[in-house]
Amino acid sequence: MNTEGDVDSDMECSDNECFGDDSDYYNTDDIDIEQVDPSKNDPEYFEFECLTEEQVERLLNESVELLSNNLQILPSLAKVLLHYHNWNVSEIIGKYRENASQLLINSRVKPSSAPASNNCSRYLTCPVCVLTHSSDKFLSLNCGHLFCKGCWTIHFEVQINQGISTGISCMARECEVLVPEDFVLKLVLQPNIKEKYLQYIFQDYVKSHPQLRFCPGPNCQVVIKSQDTKAKRATCSKCKSIFCFKCGIDYHAPTDCHTIQKWLTKCADDSETANYISAHTKDCPKCHICIEKNGGCNHMQCYNCKYDFCWMCLGDWKAHGSEYYECSRYKENPNIAHESVHAQAREALKKYLHYYERWENHLKSLKLEKETFDKLKTRINQKVMSGRGTWIDWQYLFTAASLLAKCRYTLQYTYPYAYYMDTGPRKELFEYQQAQLEAEIENLSWKIERAETTDRGDLENQMDIAEKRRTTLLKDFLDV
Amino acid sequence: MTSRRILVETKNLSKDPPPGISATPDEDNCRYFHVIMAGPKGSPYEGGLFKLELFLPENYPLCPPSVRFLTKIYHPNIDKLGRICLDILKDQWSPALQIRTVLLSIQALLSAPNPDDPLANDVANMWKNDEEEAISVAKSWTRRYAVMDS
Ligand SMILES: [Zn+2]
Ligand SMILES: [Zn+2]
Ligand SMILES: [Zn+2]
Ligand SMILES: [Zn+2]
Ligand SMILES: [Zn+2]
Ligand SMILES: [Zn+2]
Repeated sequence: MNTEGDVDSDMECSDNECFGDDSDYYNTDDIDIEQVDPSKNDPEYFEFECLTEEQVERLLNESVELLSNNLQILPSLAKVLLHYHNWNVSEIIGKYRENASQLLINSRVKPSSAPASNNCSRYLTCPVCVLTHSSDKFLSLNCGHLFCKGCWTIHFEVQINQGISTGISCMARECEVLVPEDFVLKLVLQPNIKEKYLQYIFQDYVKSHPQLRFCPGPNCQVVIKSQDTKAKRATCSKCKSIFCFKCGIDYHAPTDCHTIQKWLTKCADDSETANYISAHTKDCPKCHICIEKNGGCNHMQCYNCKYDFCWMCLGDWKAHGSEYYECSRYKENPNIAHESVHAQAREALKKYLHYYERWENHLKSLKLEKETFDKLKTRINQKVMSGRGTWIDWQYLFTAASLLAKCRYTLQYTYPYAYYMDTGPRKELFEYQQAQLEAEIENLSWKIERAETTDRGDLENQMDIAEKRRTTLLKDFLDV
Repeated sequence: MTSRRILVETKNLSKDPPPGISATPDEDNCRYFHVIMAGPKGSPYEGGLFKLELFLPENYPLCPPSVRFLTKIYHPNIDKLGRICLDILKDQWSPALQIRTVLLSIQALLSAPNPDDPLANDVANMWKNDEEEAISVAKSWTRRYAVMDS
């Protein structure tokens, strides 16, 4: 909602654009927002909800009720069918109308062969414990395989203790029939095991539901729901974890789920090789004095000779201007196909290290910038305490720092993307935009590190440029 | 409840032992069995007598028995420690199976090794790449480790 101050400044417009009173002004504003499709302007636009466990239960129960009413089956059987068919109610109803028996067999509700016939004697011997009990102590699933209640109970306890819930099946040899929830709950009496079962079965249901994802945050119970099952950025409202809705790991735009998985595996496999580059110190390319990097910005200035250089490539910073920023681009050897196998392996390693080094470096910068920001916070706190401005006055710096983190995060994830790209005009365009983004991010970082002496308007301008570069790149290359 | 099941199975094993297999319970522990299995006819293990141990866990028969070869054996589904890769000893276990069926399945595994589901990778690779050589190694291990000197 707009604050009054904002409204006032927005109202400074010519008469024909203005509306009579405030309520009209707000109404028109709302309509405008509704008419613009936000997904058009924001390539990362994602609609989702954060649900509690109870809200998820309610949501799942709606599907269960719908299906059990529609097919006139028990809710517990409806759950087996829904879990098996990823909660697609209409698919189940369609298949049921087509061939109910086949659907029940495929979903492991009914046995594939005729049910076992049981004699109706008053006493039976349980094949598991080989004890003889009166027949009312026996139970079977749809398959007719009779076992005594005591054996069923222990069977469930053993399975639940192994973390199995929706997958518990009949005890008979090669019988595939699954045990529905109410059957288990009727026979498991120990409260702690019952509790475990309910927890596991809930997890299984959420995992089989395409619109639901558990928040990957540690000890977080939140479930994210979205109609849009794409690789979009989801943020948990409770623990603030940011993750990819599709694959559940750290958000990774513009790289896709498959590629980032490949990249992370490669990095883990090659961590030994890449270790030597992770040093925190480098020599100044001009006076050769040892320089330690303690901020996130890659625009370095030697404290000895004042030479401005780039931490990544050790090149002159002036050459990194707004023109083609060559630093981020890997220059492939055009004759590599004719070189020896050895030279090719060396080249492959060199290429990987180029991308890995930058990936790793931006990750480190993110951490260092967080530290810089924490120090800045302390300094601002002192200023506010001593009466130099209020927290609100300095708010723009916090906004700038979080925007910097967001931009650098995207920049970090452009490196795996580029690594797996084929050479050609599309890669050239990508690397051009990546270089532009990188240059603006370093400018922004440089300005934030010197925030107290930087002009506010200048900083806000820089923020705008960096974010524009980021959305431009995502609009052109984020393919979800 | 499990004790009766163990009692019945033990009795049946001694009264009507499966061909080529003997399983005797330990004197001090009725859940521990000393097993001797003859190498099946026509397999590279023919002529050998293999010692195994079989232990029934507390939740038997709701959990599968643990079985291990004590005699060294060259087989793609049996590792250096004698552990056996067999589905019914893991996720395909059913409480309706018995000690007898488990031992017969192991015996069948000796007749029909499955190098596509290996436990001992080096042995499995040998079995796939040079079956003749693998069989001759298995035969020589049988002679060396599984034939009792008379
Ligand atoms: Zn029983
Ligand atoms: Zn059954
Ligand atoms: Zn969370
Ligand atoms: Zn993903
Ligand atoms: Zn210098
Ligand atoms: Zn550079």
